[in-house]
Parts: sequence; structure tokens; C-alpha cells
Amino acid sequence: MAGEAISVQGRARVAERAIAAGSPYLLIAPALLFMAAVSVYPLFYGVRASLAEYKYGRELGFQGLDNYRRVLADDVFWQAMYVTLRFVLIAVTLETILGVALAVLLSRDLRFAGLIRTGLIIPMTVAPVVVGIVWRLIYASDVGIVNPLFRVAGLTPPDVLSHGTSAFLGLVAVDVWEWTPLIMLIVLAGLHGLPREPIEGARVDGASELRVFFDHTLPLVRPVLLVAIILRTIDAIGTFDQVFVLTKGGPGTSTQLIAIYGYNTAFRFSQYGQASAMMLLVLVGMSVLLVAAIRTIRGAAKKATGAA
Amino acid sequence: MKRVLDARMTRRELLRNSAMFGAATFAVTTLSACGLGKKSSESNKIVIGAFQDNALAPLRDTFFKRFTDETGIKVQYNETNYDSWYQNAKNDGLNKTGAYDIYIMDDNWVPEFAAAGILIDLEAAGLKPNPDLLENGLNQGYWPPKVGPRLKDVANDEPKLYALPIDDDVQMLYYNSDQFSSAPTTWDEIFAAMKDKADPPNMYGWTIRGVKGNPIVQTYLPVLNSYGGAFANDDWTPGFDGAEGVAALERIFSFIPYMPRGIVEFDTDQEIQVLLQGQSLALTEYTGLTQRIDDPESSTVVGKIDCAATPAEEKSGPAIGIFNAGIPPSAPNTDGAIQFLDWFTSDDVQLDFAKTGSAAVTRKALTDPSAISEARWLPAMADAVDNSTPKPRTPDEPKMEDILGTELNKALVDAIAANGKYGGIAQKHLSAAADQMTSYLQQQGGYY
Amino acid sequence: MRSRTRTVSMYGAIVLAVVIALFPIWWMIVTSFKQPVDIYSGVSLVPQHFTMDNYAELFRDRHFGSYLGNSLVVVALSVGISLAVGTLGAYALTRSTIGERIRRLSLVGALVVRMVPPILLAIPLYIVLGKLGLLDTKLGLIFVYAGLNVSLVVWMMESYLGEIPPEIEEAALVDGDTPLSALRRIVLPLAAPGMVATAIFSVIVTYNEFLLALSFTSTPNSQTITVGVSTLIGKIQIEWGPMAAAGVIGAVPIIVFALLVQRHFVRGLTLGAIK
Repeated sequence: MAGEAISVQGRARVAERAIAAGSPYLLIAPALLFMAAVSVYPLFYGVRASLAEYKYGRELGFQGLDNYRRVLADDVFWQAMYVTLRFVLIAVTLETILGVALAVLLSRDLRFAGLIRTGLIIPMTVAPVVVGIVWRLIYASDVGIVNPLFRVAGLTPPDVLSHGTSAFLGLVAVDVWEWTPLIMLIVLAGLHGLPREPIEGARVDGASELRVFFDHTLPLVRPVLLVAIILRTIDAIGTFDQVFVLTKGGPGTSTQLIAIYGYNTAFRFSQYGQASAMMLLVLVGMSVLLVAAIRTIRGAAKKATGAA
Repeated sequence: MKRVLDARMTRRELLRNSAMFGAATFAVTTLSACGLGKKSSESNKIVIGAFQDNALAPLRDTFFKRFTDETGIKVQYNETNYDSWYQNAKNDGLNKTGAYDIYIMDDNWVPEFAAAGILIDLEAAGLKPNPDLLENGLNQGYWPPKVGPRLKDVANDEPKLYALPIDDDVQMLYYNSDQFSSAPTTWDEIFAAMKDKADPPNMYGWTIRGVKGNPIVQTYLPVLNSYGGAFANDDWTPGFDGAEGVAALERIFSFIPYMPRGIVEFDTDQEIQVLLQGQSLALTEYTGLTQRIDDPESSTVVGKIDCAATPAEEKSGPAIGIFNAGIPPSAPNTDGAIQFLDWFTSDDVQLDFAKTGSAAVTRKALTDPSAISEARWLPAMADAVDNSTPKPRTPDEPKMEDILGTELNKALVDAIAANGKYGGIAQKHLSAAADQMTSYLQQQGGYY
Repeated sequence: MRSRTRTVSMYGAIVLAVVIALFPIWWMIVTSFKQPVDIYSGVSLVPQHFTMDNYAELFRDRHFGSYLGNSLVVVALSVGISLAVGTLGAYALTRSTIGERIRRLSLVGALVVRMVPPILLAIPLYIVLGKLGLLDTKLGLIFVYAGLNVSLVVWMMESYLGEIPPEIEEAALVDGDTPLSALRRIVLPLAAPGMVATAIFSVIVTYNEFLLALSFTSTPNSQTITVGVSTLIGKIQIEWGPMAAAGVIGAVPIIVFALLVQRHFVRGLTLGAIK
């Protein structure tokens, strides 16, 4: 037992020297390996699959750019891209406005501020799949609560999930419900780090609240807000779980986001090649956003570190 | 946590800890590799996967246990929702994961699974199908199909049996016998009754599954077939965009004023709920519903729902969507799986299965007086299976169904919004579906 | 007077926001304790006839015990592995001796991995796991999640470790420590709060992940809770009661966890852009 312990110790010492000699490259290697395994290899494979022909789930061989041609000629793909774009634009805009408004409200010295904040962030902690269930129980035309609410108000029940437009707006509402707290939380954190003097000063000078907000508060939280918006946009483009549970893309194709269509193409219709091509096209489209994200986040992080 | 935060370690501790950490990592990895990565493989066990459906409840609750009692082979039964199970089964087969011995499938999966090589030839594996099996049920298990159009690739191949029917699920008309003096046989009769008796929202005339994809296609098929249309013609051209198909869809539209508001988002559970609460005259549904019509926990109209052939225009044309069971080549316990299929489709077991009111797969069971006395709908079931129209057999069926099911759903949304003026809507969407389907099949090749 | 109206409307807005945030979840919880008949018999904000049947059914017939157990194992191991691997990597990145090129590559790579939509990774990873025989295993999921989490850990820990003044560490080196022991003795204790925050964030993200788990698993032996929840959304059948109960089981553990540790949230959410 003792001998074993010594030999383990001895070995550990050798290992330590080796690490010391080779580090830091040795230290970063496993991390890079892990990351590459879930990104570089899959992406490489995805590119290959997008150039291959599949039939009934089996790979038949290389076929060039046919998959891309088919995707680009596929109306349903463009429809899905359009729905996704609309969804992301509307949802993220609403989330930003509401999130900033809530953050400004909460940054006042409120009673129960902590409790209120806790209540407000609950939606974003719920798994997106469960969020889908939550809202299905709300929207359902038979057991839900939206229709009875409208009836009580003397209005025609909307049957949210039965019409293209209302189902789409319903989905936007779900996203706003779930992710407004994210923007709020981030902006709130940004507000806490701000110097109070300019804002107090402006108030004392008799500027209206809106003026103070647009002239002083907003410019100061802008970098933080930008990070939040970019991250939210990127995540919104990949929205899948909630739609999968709520509408499966219907009625018609009104809520068929690109992730849903990609998923169906790959896993239901077994068109791995076309699905890969589709997703790579989306990634290319997103790359502008990704670059912007990297710049802003790194910038904001550096600034924050410098300030700290 | 606190210890981590406060710990300041000596060099010796560090070494000891790193050694322990290394050992632990090694142990965890090894254990994971052996334990987590491996699937339990008991020799005397079969693993059966399925989707949730009322029709499978008797298997889950009674017959698996009985099989274990009689043969000593344990059954592990995994049930998930339809879409997930379809993907899970396909994934399991394509990757030879070997997690399952038996896939319980919807019949339209068989062509894809058989063509992809993820089902074994049951007869070659030693199974002799019970000769009393209903032919329309049994035929769904063959690839290439015994009847109907074939893909060019397999045009001259000998059909092989890849799946055995375990529940001849077929559509029937369910009607509230308080509202009809005898079983209605035509759509005209149904529509007349609706105009006469329906009074939404207290009493509806009809309910449907309106959700896009498979559900609304199942709503459309019995009407389409009865009007003389078809999902696809014998030359693979779409059979629904002509006058018959349009008339069939407009027939459904004509029911809209007498149906609940939310039909676009209705699936089985919602549509039958209305009937079982005594709030609707009738609907067409698969046989799983028979498990619930006399259950006081689900129904307020126990004993009042009767079954008959789906209504006719030219003829009755119920869709058949039988559940059948196949075995993947990667099954760890092929013998056990064969034994189960053999046992479950035997005369004795099928008789008892019929007595639970289920869609037994043998004729003797469905026509047995002792079984009929316990389940009044069995003759209607046998009849429906014999009259049923299967969809064309092709691995591309899921995509075809998705195309038609999306357009039908759009058409329904438009028709509801049009408030009675639905002229042109049916034709527009059916033509759109036909175009998409044709170009998809052309792209896939092997059809024309 | 004016300021009072303003205060009232401010509190009004906040109360409204809180109600909107919480009511849908309350509705799910209420539904989960209702009997089927009551679910269909109109709006009631409390269960008319309280029942635990929906929950009992999930654990008795629908493997929810396994789902929860699998989630626990998968989350614990994948977060543990990624924390160990990622922190070492991040530490290396903060050392001046590492090349700037590899440093930048690692950081940008980490960020990209975090941001690529999972659907993009699902198909190729599915094929890879298939080749390795890791489909429908917890190990397969652990591997994938660990990989994804490593990127988060590297990125986050680099920013935490970067805040530790190099002088402290250099002093230790002068005292005769090896780099690794300096890491263990000096740096890690200082970075522990960062590790905790990163771990928390990884736990939440991993527990809530659905798409990859759905694609890579097929039996209750390896399916996680989110996949379990999705099995209730039948195409052929929707049972609202058990579905709501499943939602509650899927949500509550992580809500409780998140609320306990919410102060660590922000930094993880912004990938360290905000301290």
C-alpha cells in the first residue's frame, strides 16, 4: 500500500515536470481537443455530408453541389428563412425594449427589489422544452386560458394556435416571455456598475426622466446592451425546442423556423446532405453576427477588466 | 465549497491530490466506458419500443406480463411519443445500436425501414405467419408491396415479410347512438344530421384532427378515398388534385360551421374529447378510441357510442394504419423476438386480445361470438380492414405526407377565415401539394 | 401628486410584469394536480379535486425516475470533466509564455463553439457517435456536453484568471513552486468563485438541453429529463395532466437551483462581458 503510494507520487512528480516543461501547451491541449471534437470535426463532416448524396438514410457517394442547388431552389427553405428572420427581429426588438424598461424600473430603490428580480428571472431558468408545455397549456383552444380570458372580456376567442398570424405572434410572445429577463438582468448589471453622478446631476437640473435615460443612461449601458442583443439574436436564430413542443411549425408553415425545417429534413426525411447544406448556409449567413459578437464581447470584457 | 475556497495546500498535499484526481478521472472514465457505454444484455429478455397509443394499452398492461409468465422471457417496454419513436427506431436501426429487439411501427414506416435494411426477413428467420391473419393487415408488412405501385428499383423483386401485424388499426365511424336511429352510411346523411341537430357550442356536428402533417392527412383520407380519389395513383401521380379530391376537401369544409373553433390545432385527444363529453354527433377515428368509449373516467356517454364503416360517397374508404412489429438485424435477442411475434399472433392470444376490444389481427378472433359479446364493435373492425385503402408503399411516404399535410392544414386555416366562401381554396392548396409532391418524387428518382 | 401617480404606475407595471412572468408557470402547476375531467371543465386557478395521479403515473409507467437519474449523472460528469479540462486550458491561456496565435485561436474557437446553433452540430455528431457506438448511451451525451461546456469554461475562466495579478503567481514561482503547484496553491483558490459561477451556468445549460439529447438517445436507459418531458407530447395523444406534471418535474429542480445561485448568473449569461 505504502509502496504504491510512493510510486504514484513519484509518477506524479515526473508528470509534473513534464507538464512544467511543456506547459502551457500541454495544459491547453486537452481543452482544444475537446472543443475540436464537438466543433471542427462535426463541421468538417457537415461540409462533406453537404456534398454527398443520401438516399433513405444511406450515403451513396460524392455528388458535388447538388444539395446546395436543391436547397436554394426550395421554396420551403426560403419560407423558413423568412419566418426565422421575422421571428428574430420582432422578438429581439421587443425583448430589448421591455428588458431595458424593466431594468430601469428595477434599478430604482424599490421595496422588495430582490424578491421582484427573483420572480422576474424565473422564466429564463425553465428548460425551453418545458416552456413549450407551459404555453401549450395557455394557448390550447379547449383547455387553455387565453380563449376564456377573451370571452370574459367580451371578445372573440382568438384560438391562438389555429391561425398562421396568431400562432406566429404567440410564438414571439413565448420567446419574449422567456428571454426578456435575460436582457433585463444584463442591463441591470450594467446599470449597477455605472457612475451615478451624471444621472443624478441631470435630474437635479430638471431634465425629464426620458431625457435622462436617452442622454445619460442609455449611452453608458450601450456596450453591455449590445452584447446582450447579439447573444440573444444568435440564440434566437437557433430556436427549436419551444416550436417543437408548441406547433411543430404549423399551422401551415407559419411557425416553421429554420432549425425545425433543418431537423425535419435530416431526421424525418433522412436527407442528411440537404440538411447539412441548409445548416451550413445558415452558418455562413450568421458568420457576420458571430464576428460582431466576438468583437463586442471581447471589447466589453477588456473594458470591464480595465475598469476593474 | 468552503473548503475549496479556503484551501491552501502544501506541496505534498498537492501531489497526493493530483494523484487522487488522476486516479479518480481514470476510474470514472473506465467505469463510464464499461458501465455507461454498455447496454445491459440479459439473455432472457426482449426490449420492445413503441409510440404511445390507446390501442397498445392492452399489450402494456396485460399481454407482456402473460408472455413472460408463459415463456420466462422478460419484456422491457419503452414507449415514447410518435415522432421521437420513429426517429429513435430509425436511428437504432441505421447505426446498429442494438438497443431494441422489436420495433412496433406504423405501417407506413415499413417501406423506409425495409429499404434501408434495418429490418430482417421474418420468414427467413423462421417465422411462419398465422394463416388466419387478415390479408389487408398482413400485406402492410411486405416489401416490395404485394399490391399497388412499386418503385422501379424493386419492381421485379420478390416481396418479403419484414413486419407482422399486431394491431389492425383502421378507421371507423364513431357515432352517438342517441342522435342517430341507425348507423349513418353516407356523408350526405351525416351532413343532414349536422344541419338538423348541431347547435355549437353545446352540440357539435363533427370533429377532425386538423394539425399539420400526418393528423390532417388522416382526416382527409377516408373522405378522399370515398370520393374515388387517392393519395397517389398507380403511376405515382398525385390522386387528390382532381375533381374528386377537391370535392372531398370541400365536403370537410362544409362541416366547419358545425365543428369546434380550434380544429386546426386538434389532434386525436382533442377531437375525441368532444365526442366523449357528449358534445358531438360523430367522427372518424382509428380503433384506439374503442378503448375509451366505455370508460367512465374518459366518457360521459358510456355505452352510447357505436361504430360503423366510415361514410361513403361512392364507397366507404377507411384509411388503414396498422401497427406492426419488425425485428432489426442488430437485435440482441432475435429468437426471443420471433417467439414473441409468433406467440402474440397465435389464435388463443388473439382471441383474448379481441376480448379486450382491441383490433385483433386474425379473422377468427374478430368474428368469435364470445369476443363480440364483450366488444360490440369487432364486426365493424373486420369490415373496415377488409374495405380499407392502404397508402402507396414507398420510403418517401413521410415527406409526401408532410407535403400534403402542410397544404391541407393551410387550406383549413384559409377556409375557416373565408367564413363560408371557400370556393377555390381546396383546388389551390391541393394543386400546390400535388406540384411539390411531383417535383419531390422526380428529384428522388425511381418513380416515373 | 404627480410623483405619487408615477410611483403607483411604476409599481403597477412591476406587479403586472411579475404576474405575467409567474402566472403561466402557476397554471402548469395547477393543471398538474387536476383530474382529467376538471382540466376540461373550464378555468379554475386551483385544482378542484387535488390529485397526485399525474405524477404517480410518470414515475410508475413512464420512466421519470430514470430520466431524472440520467440527467443527474450526465450533468454532474460532463460539468465536472469540462471544469477540470477547461480550467487548466484557461490557466495556460493567461500565461505570458503561450503564443499569441494559439491563445487567440483558442478563445475565438471557444466562443464559436458556444454560439453555433446545436442543430448544426446534431447531424454530424450523430454520425460520429454512431461510429463510436456511443448512440443511446450516457457516455455519448457526457462526451458531447463536456466538449460544449469546455468552451464555456475556457472562455469564462480565462476572464476570471486574467484578473489575478501575475505578480502573485510570479512570487510563488520565485519561492520555488512549479507552475502547476503555483496554480494549485495560489491561483485556483483565488479563482474558485469563478469556477463556481461557471459550473453553475454549465449545470443549468446542460440540464435544460434538449435537441442533442433527443437526437442521440432512444431509450430511458440514457434519455434525460427534457427528452422525457417531450415524450408526453404525443402526436396521437395529448394527456394534459401528465404533460403538465412532466413540465413541473422538468422545471422545478433547475428553478430552485437557479434561484439559490442567481447572483452568479450575469457573468455566465454575458460570457464574461459583464463582471
